[in-house]
Formats: sequence, structure tokens, C-alpha cells
Amino acid sequence: MTTIQLPSPGAMPDTIEARPASDNYLTHTRGILSWIFTLDHKRIGVMYMWSVLGSFLLGGTFALLLRTELLTPGPTITDSADTYNQWFTLHGAIMVFLVIIPSIPAALGNIILPIMLGAKDVAFPRLNLFSYYLWVTGAVLCVVSLAMGGFDTGWTFYTPYSTTTTAGGVIPVLTAAFVLGFSSIFTGLNFIVTVHKLRPPGMTWFRMPLFLWAIYATAIIQVLATPVLGITLLLLIVERTVNIGIFNPSMGGDPVLYQHFFWFYSHPAVYIMILPAMGIISEIIAINSHRAIFGYRLIAFSSIAIAFFSFIVWGHHMFTSGQSALMNTLFSAISFSVAIPSAVKVFNWIATLYKGSVSLTTPMWYALAFLFLFTIGGLTGLHLATLSTDVHLHDTYFVVAHFHYVMMGSALIGMIGGLHHWWPKIFGRMYDERLGTIACWIIFIGFNVTFFTQFMLGSQGMPRRYYDYQPEFQIYHVISTIGSYIMAVGFTLTAISLFGSFFNGKKAPANPWGGRSLEWQCASPPPFDNFAKAPRVGDCYDFSVVHWDPKLGGYRVDESNDPEVNPAAQGTKAAH
Amino acid sequence: MSMTHQILAHTASQVSALAAFAQTGTAEPTAPTFWMPVGASTISQGVDHTLDVINWICYVFFALVVGLMVWFVVKYRHRTGDKFRTDYPSHNTPLEITWSVIPTIIVIGIFVVGFRSYLDIYTAPKNAFDIKVTAQKWAWSFQYPNGAVSDDLYVPAGRPVRLVLRSSDVLHSLYIPDFRVKRDIVPGRYTYAWFQCDFPTGQPGKTPRDPNAKTVSGPEDDAQAHRLFCTEYCGTGHSKMNRYVYVLDEASFGQWMIDQSQWMDKIPEEELYFKAGPKIFARCQQCHSLDGTVGIGPSWKGIVERVKAYPIVGDGKEYGTWEDYVRTSILIPGKYVVPTYGNVMPSFKGQLNDKAIDAVLGYMQQLEKFDTKTGKLKAEFDPATGMKK
Repeated sequence: MTTIQLPSPGAMPDTIEARPASDNYLTHTRGILSWIFTLDHKRIGVMYMWSVLGSFLLGGTFALLLRTELLTPGPTITDSADTYNQWFTLHGAIMVFLVIIPSIPAALGNIILPIMLGAKDVAFPRLNLFSYYLWVTGAVLCVVSLAMGGFDTGWTFYTPYSTTTTAGGVIPVLTAAFVLGFSSIFTGLNFIVTVHKLRPPGMTWFRMPLFLWAIYATAIIQVLATPVLGITLLLLIVERTVNIGIFNPSMGGDPVLYQHFFWFYSHPAVYIMILPAMGIISEIIAINSHRAIFGYRLIAFSSIAIAFFSFIVWGHHMFTSGQSALMNTLFSAISFSVAIPSAVKVFNWIATLYKGSVSLTTPMWYALAFLFLFTIGGLTGLHLATLSTDVHLHDTYFVVAHFHYVMMGSALIGMIGGLHHWWPKIFGRMYDERLGTIACWIIFIGFNVTFFTQFMLGSQGMPRRYYDYQPEFQIYHVISTIGSYIMAVGFTLTAISLFGSFFNGKKAPANPWGGRSLEWQCASPPPFDNFAKAPRVGDCYDFSVVHWDPKLGGYRVDESNDPEVNPAAQGTKAAH
Repeated sequence: MSMTHQILAHTASQVSALAAFAQTGTAEPTAPTFWMPVGASTISQGVDHTLDVINWICYVFFALVVGLMVWFVVKYRHRTGDKFRTDYPSHNTPLEITWSVIPTIIVIGIFVVGFRSYLDIYTAPKNAFDIKVTAQKWAWSFQYPNGAVSDDLYVPAGRPVRLVLRSSDVLHSLYIPDFRVKRDIVPGRYTYAWFQCDFPTGQPGKTPRDPNAKTVSGPEDDAQAHRLFCTEYCGTGHSKMNRYVYVLDEASFGQWMIDQSQWMDKIPEEELYFKAGPKIFARCQQCHSLDGTVGIGPSWKGIVERVKAYPIVGDGKEYGTWEDYVRTSILIPGKYVVPTYGNVMPSFKGQLNDKAIDAVLGYMQQLEKFDTKTGKLKAEFDPATGMKK
């Protein structure tokens, strides 16, 4: 357990000048063991980050294999439909369970959340390390499952296929998802307690940076929804091994019951993926517009509203499953309610640009790309929440395009944006911003070429998860595959720009973008214990006290005149 | 039937009556658009209309969001070192209420439009013509009231058709894009789909499609046939589980059903193996090869000799003859599974009668007469007699 010291009245937050830059969390202790057994949230976050990025590379490789196979109808690079089926299953399972779900909360959240709170660590550092090793166990089990013959069930593990398929790796991968679920639950639990108990003086709920609101809303979903996945996967394992018949129709079980259980978790899981990205976007847009975020309270409430609604819309995955018409009608109606808080967020972000001072930094380009892609992803959700059009579009490439716009175009782009936003903070190095921006554009273009095409492919009637297809669909597949190669180039350039920063990046200032939340007032990279004293905080979206300092090559926060931070001062800041 | 179902059914029948009325006079299916394929069923226009409404709402909102975004970014562009603007509003309650309420009204509108066209899709009219559909890994079997069975779906034009769907193994889903119809097929329960298509497509041409072609391509002489897909992932042959829908006018449909139910009856017993065998084998070849290639099931090459050598086959053993074993394997596949193969074959009980099984047994005995790729009689044999020309 970590303790925080209470500040003396009028305490000043640590300033970059106050701390020796040579001693930071990366250099504080040395040796591989100091990483493996670390309890430091930043190091755990960094380990998560590399693990998640490594998994992303793997999942992305499978995506490229899939797209290449689909260049022509019939066999292209593999003549086995089973191999293709394993590829798309692996792509989905890796991207969902190993990449997107842990990416923002566990990697970036772990690094940033305690610093944003002015805390020394999360509430339960040991639990934090434990959840990382649960993640590792899950990843290892995935590899074990591959060695045991892989799995071809699709990431949704629908029964009775998943309980009868002859692929040998089904039980290990179910165990992997089960274990990864616990990793996610523990991270969520940790963050809920941290946000409740470790907020610094002056940070009321409505003074929290919106990233914290988003992570908090996400953590609630993680804790409440993931146990349902756990028990469902356990039932599936029992069903497969000893055939208890809960999902097996020949023994009186019901395969549709499995779908209810699965989506009761997996729909909220969509928001586990997207909410933290929305939090990042709120931060990036406010900071790079150098103005108060428009409608702070509405954005914060909409995060909670989305978290709430996410629990009662799962049935919209099952409009054609044989679920009753009444249920379909109710789930359709409730599903539309998610559209409203999502739309409100977009409008607020756009309004934040209005009369702002918009700096087009690399993270900002990612945020703008997010707005573009999330708008498409969100709007095409309308087609799928609507009963009659969903019947036509369900399980076609339209759905594939829609959820890639949300999960990749929004959640993952948000994550990459956040990575660029906090990279200087995490590693103390600036990356090549020009290369970063070019890479962002290439990814953006490649993404749209790949996935916008798939909307047409789907609405024209091409079912998903098809190894082979009809010749009339080929043109769309070829365009889509070209787009995926463009994206691969973009991601390679991103990697070059980020990793290049270790070799020739200039030293990052504490505050390169002009943020005011606490992490920007901590050195880059942060010291081992973040802050000597828990700092008193002001309004983190009031940028009137942030000034460009050419000597630092970054921004300086001068709060000496802010009476909220420094009660001794006479308030001179601009009133809004 | 619950109260809700009655209300839904009642509303639906009214709405479909209206839709049917609106359909009268339409001479041909709606042409494919940028978004949608040919619309050939009575509900397709309602679905397409709903899609159009949603699309236009999307276009407007997308243009609004991205337009404002680009405009603001250009207009309020800031260069490092410049002073920040301070004249911005931090919130505006009336504006925020407006942009919460307007989307709410719009999505309620979309819901209502979608709900109305959904009722048409959901409830089949009472006078619908029933066709039983069995989905299994990885084939469709359509069974008609007079006992006819087919691999492609044949339906009468101008009459509501209700499909009674059942699966003999895992989840499948029946999808006919041109009719905007989709329904999951769940083992252990019946599900239903219905549609009405008023536009005959004609029968398939005389030239049968090449079943070993890399992909199923449209029959050249009847390009109007509609595609039918499986859209619920079901394993190896999922993407091969697609067939055609032929819509025939009432008279030809009636005749087709009669012919289809009797096609094997007219074939003399000794000609069954080459006249019916290849046609039946077309349903087996997803899993069984003729050239020795190991598939999902064992190859049929040399099957007679192999079966005879099984320890359970022979005089006084569990299966007296090899025919007994093959017959049992077709009807109760799980009874004795060949080692190293999975117990995955579905039962063909009710789909293949004794005559059809005789055809298969004859076919297995004379495999050398058939092309190992297509399964059809080789060119050097006379298709009328099965003898060398």
C-alpha cells in the first residue's frame, strides 16, 4: 500500500526544475529483476505496453495474411479453409483479448492515472503486478493452444461448434480468455479504488481530467461484466470436456443461451475498448486546442451513461438468432439510446475546437482522425440497431466494417494517439513529429480504403468469415487488401518515428503540448515516486496559466497566481 | 401464443397487406444500387427505403461533423509561441440540450421506421407455402410438401413462402441477399423465415455447373437466379455452403416438384449408379474425394476393398457385408467412425432413400468409370448405357 502525505497549506506542486532529471523511474533501479518484480505502476504500464504492442504486431500479421488470402476467390496463399479459419479466429482473439481490452487501461492507464492523480502509485501495487502476470499467463496459454492444434471457433466461441470442433487448442484458449478476464477485473478494481481514495486535495469529482472519468467508467464495466465472461467460458470448458449439456440441444441445452451469456459481457466489452479512447481524445483535443473542454460535465456524464447503457443492449447481436420479436424490439429501442451520449461527446469535441487555438501536433492529428472515423463507426451503428436493416446486414462484411471503424478506427487510433501524446512523458524523448504526422495520414487513408470498401461488400451481400467468395465481390476485396497494405506501411513508419526517438530524439520537456493536468507538471520521464508531495490542483482545463517557454522548448504552468492552487495569491487569472 | 405475439402478428399482417398492395404493378425487381443488390422480394423495398432514410441522416451528420471540424481547425489554427485565444465559451446549456434532444428525436424516428419494416419480415402470412430446410455441415437440403428434395431452393413466384429451418449439427444461418432475408438455424429448435418473390427467374440451364470449379459462379444461362448463403460460421466448408434460389411461375413450379420427386423412380435399378450416383455424390464431395486425397472424411478411392478389410466387417461379424457398413454409415454415421477421422458426418436419414443408397453403393463399385475431379461419367462411356462407347 502506498501512502500519500497531506500537503501543507499553500504547497506548490512539484515543478520540473525542482527535481533532478537524472533520477527517473527508468533509471532508478537497474537490472532485469528490477523490472520483473517491480511494483512501480509506470514500469508495469511500460511492460504492458510492450506486451500489447507485440501482440498487436502478431494480430496485425494475421490480418495481413487474411487480406492477402482474400485477394482472389478460392485459394490464394493457403489452399486450406481450416488454415484461414484459424487465422481469422486468431486475429480476432488476439486483437480483442490481448490488445484492445488491455491497451489503454492497463498500459497507458497504468502509467498515467496515478500521475494524473498526483499519487505515488495505484492503490494496490502488488495486485497490479499480479494482473500483469495474469495477462502474461493468458498470452502463454494462447501460444500453448496454438501448439496443441490451434482453434477455429471464431473469437466468439459459439456453441455447438466450439464444443464439437476437432481443433485441439480450444480448451487452452478458453482458459486463456478466462485468465485474461481476471487480469482485466483486477486492473479495473485497482483503478476504481485508486480514483476513489487517492485523489489529491482540490480534485473533486468534477475536477478530474476526463481521461480519469473514462478510465473510471471503464473500470466499472470491467468489474461488473467480466465475471460473466469468466463463468461462461468455464461452462464452455465443462461442456466440452464432460458434456453437461447446458448448451447442447441434444441434451436439452440451448445454444442461444450461450449467445446471451457471451454478449452480456462482450457488448459492454466494446465500451471497455472505446471509453478509454474517448478519454484520451478529450485530453488531446482540449490540450491541443489550449482551451477549456466544451461542456465538461456533459462529457463526464455521457461516459457514465454509456457505461450504464452498455449493459442493457447485448441482445442487438442476436436479432436473427431466434430471439423473440418482442425482445428484438426492446433491444433495438434501447440500443439507440447509446447513440445519444456518443453523439453528444462528438459535438462537444467539435465545439472544443471552436475559438480554440488549435496546434496540429501528431497526437492532435490522431484525435482528428478519431473524430472522422468514430463518426462513421457510430453512424453505421444506426443501420445495425435498426431491426429491418440489421436482418439484411447482420453477419456480413458491413458488420465487419462497422466494428473495425469502432474498435480499430476509434479505440486503437485513440490508443496510438495517446501513445504519441504521452510518449515524451513516458520515455523523456521527442519523436520525429513530421514522420509521425505522415504516418498518421497514411494509416488514416489505408484504414478508410480497407474498411469503407467493406461496407459496400457487406450491404451487397457478402457474408463474413468466408474463405472463398463469389467473383462479383472480388473488386471490393482487392481494394480492401490494398488498403491493408497501406496501413501496414503507416504502422511501420509510426514504429520508426517512435523507436527513432530512442536514438536521435531530442530530450522531451516536461510539458511539450501545453497540458495542465498533473502529469505535465512532473518531469519527463517522471521520477520514481512521481511527486514528493501530493500537489494541490486547480482546474485542469484552464489553460490561461500555461505559457510557451522557448527556453524549455515546451510549456510552463505558472499557478502562483491561481488562488485555487495557491490560496495566498490574489486571483488574476482570466474569468470564463 | 402470447398477447404480444398476437398484437405483433396482427400489426404485421396489416402492414404486409399494405406492402403487398404497394407492390402491385411492379414489373421487375429493383435494380442494384451503390449499396444494395437487386431487390426481388415484397419486403425488399421497405428495407431499402429504411436504409435510404438512415443513409441520408448519416450523410448529413457526417458532413456536419467533419465540415465543422475542418473549418474550425483551419480557422483557429495556432502556431507555437502565439498567444492563446481567450474568448471561447466553456459551455452553453441551451445548445447542449438542443444537440442531445435532436438526435434523440431522430433515433426514435429511425427505430419506428425500422420496426415497421421488421414486422413485415418477421411474421409469415397464413397462406404461406411451406418448405422444410435442413442445414448441415456443409450442405442445404430443401424438402417440399410432395416429398421432392433439392440442393438448390426452388420457390413459386407470387406466393408467400415460409421456410421451416432446422439444423442437424451446429448453428447455420440462411441468407438470401436479394430478398433481404436472414435467419439463424439453431440445432434443437425450429426457426422460420418467409419471403415472397413475384418475379420468376426460370429454371437452371441444361448445362450443370462444374462442382469442382474454384468458386461457384453464376449459371451462364440464368443469371437472374438469386444467391443463398450460410452466414453463421460453421467450420471448414462454411464459405462453400452457398446455393441458388430459382423462382418459377406457379405452373412450372408444380411440374418441377413432380419431376423432382420422381426423378430416380424412372431410372432402372442397373442404371442407377451412373445416372443417379454422380448427382448424389455432389453432396458428398465436400468431405469425400475420389482420387485418394484425404478430406474431412476418408476418400472413396478403393473404399470397397478397405471396408471389406475392416475387422468388424465379414461373415458373422457386426456387419455381414461391406454394403451393410456403408449403409449404416450414411444413416447413423457415428456408429463406427474410421480411426483418425472425427465424428463429424451428419446423418442422411430421411434425405437418401433405399434407392439412393443403392445408387451410392453401385457408384462405389464402379468408380473407375468416373472422373475423379468432377465425379461424372468419363467421356469414353456412353451416358445412355454406361458402357464403353
